[in-house]
Amino acid sequence: MDKIQEIKDRLKNLKSLPTLPPIVSRLNEMVEDEDVTAVSLGKVIEKDQVLTSKLLRMVNSSFFGFPQRISTVSNAIVLLGFNVIKTLIVTSSIFDVMQSSDIGLWEHSLGCAAFSGIMAARRNIKNPEEVSTASLIHDIGKVVIRSEFPEYYAKIVEDVERRGVFMREAEEEVLGVQHGEIGGWLADEWNLPERLSIPIRFHHYPEKAGEFVEIASIIHISDIVIRAWGYGFGGDKWVPPLSHAAWEQIKFGKAEGREIMEELDLRLSELKNFTMEF
Amino acid sequence: MQVIPIRAAKEGMELAKGAVTEDGKVLCGEGTTLTMAVISRLEKSGVGAITVKGHPVRLPGEKGLKERIKDLEERFLKVKDDPVERALMRLIAEYWVESYSA
Repeated sequence: MDKIQEIKDRLKNLKSLPTLPPIVSRLNEMVEDEDVTAVSLGKVIEKDQVLTSKLLRMVNSSFFGFPQRISTVSNAIVLLGFNVIKTLIVTSSIFDVMQSSDIGLWEHSLGCAAFSGIMAARRNIKNPEEVSTASLIHDIGKVVIRSEFPEYYAKIVEDVERRGVFMREAEEEVLGVQHGEIGGWLADEWNLPERLSIPIRFHHYPEKAGEFVEIASIIHISDIVIRAWGYGFGGDKWVPPLSHAAWEQIKFGKAEGREIMEELDLRLSELKNFTMEF
Repeated sequence: MQVIPIRAAKEGMELAKGAVTEDGKVLCGEGTTLTMAVISRLEKSGVGAITVKGHPVRLPGEKGLKERIKDLEERFLKVKDDPVERALMRLIAEYWVESYSA
């Protein structure tokens, strides 16, 4: 069987990651109904206590930057929007895997989410929390390669270490496809909105993201800045090449850049409350 | 000056910048000396990080300035011919140098 087809087939039936919580299909049905309210959606989610506590922990972490604590799920839906809450629920199993097996990638993802949140707010993007969320999960393709295809993953890591190539170059050689594409397939498989799945797919090629070029560009730049800063670990130690088309979308000069650095420093320090023991 | 997570704050540290909530409310001004009561109030108000004078905390895994800059330059090795990437590198380096010297 062709390798790419094998990967696609295995994505439909992931063995190594916990299955989607059954609650997701129930919620999808509810959202179709125009009369559904945040309170009724919240009530359904709150029946699952583990999920609720995970969700509240995520929404209260600093990359969303809400000053007041969000204490109920319905409140979180009102503040962050259903797309964000659904994505956090769907991907909660991925977060568990990342936190236990790849803390470096987890920190990289949190850092990217923080930077994306800052830029989305500065560029007045609608629903900036969706941009943070897309950024938080932009590397899910890497998590899947690691957990579902350990033999290929070992070869990729070996290539990165031995030849000093970018991880996605090694992925292309070993798998014939890169983590962005795999993440995009997975996001489609999970019915995540295109506002999230397309930027995930094209975060290394943001100019291909069509109407979502701005969001993809923010994630692209966040990947560069967070790797440059040395926060977390994205699979190889190199700052990736910049898409100048992406830079044109969200570029900043020296004075704004200085403000952004200050804001980022604060956000990254806040995240340490979340990832570090003192 | 150093930006630190609120959980690393200790009595006696002095704020180099006002502690501000996400919605822009200033809770303590620049120059405030931290006491247990102040730290606890900041935490309760949702302040996640503060900027303090000097460089009083060595966070787990944190490197010195020289080493941080050296690592930064190394990470940019593959893209050093791109003027925008070089500008981003300088921006980060200058910010760090300034933070350590302030």
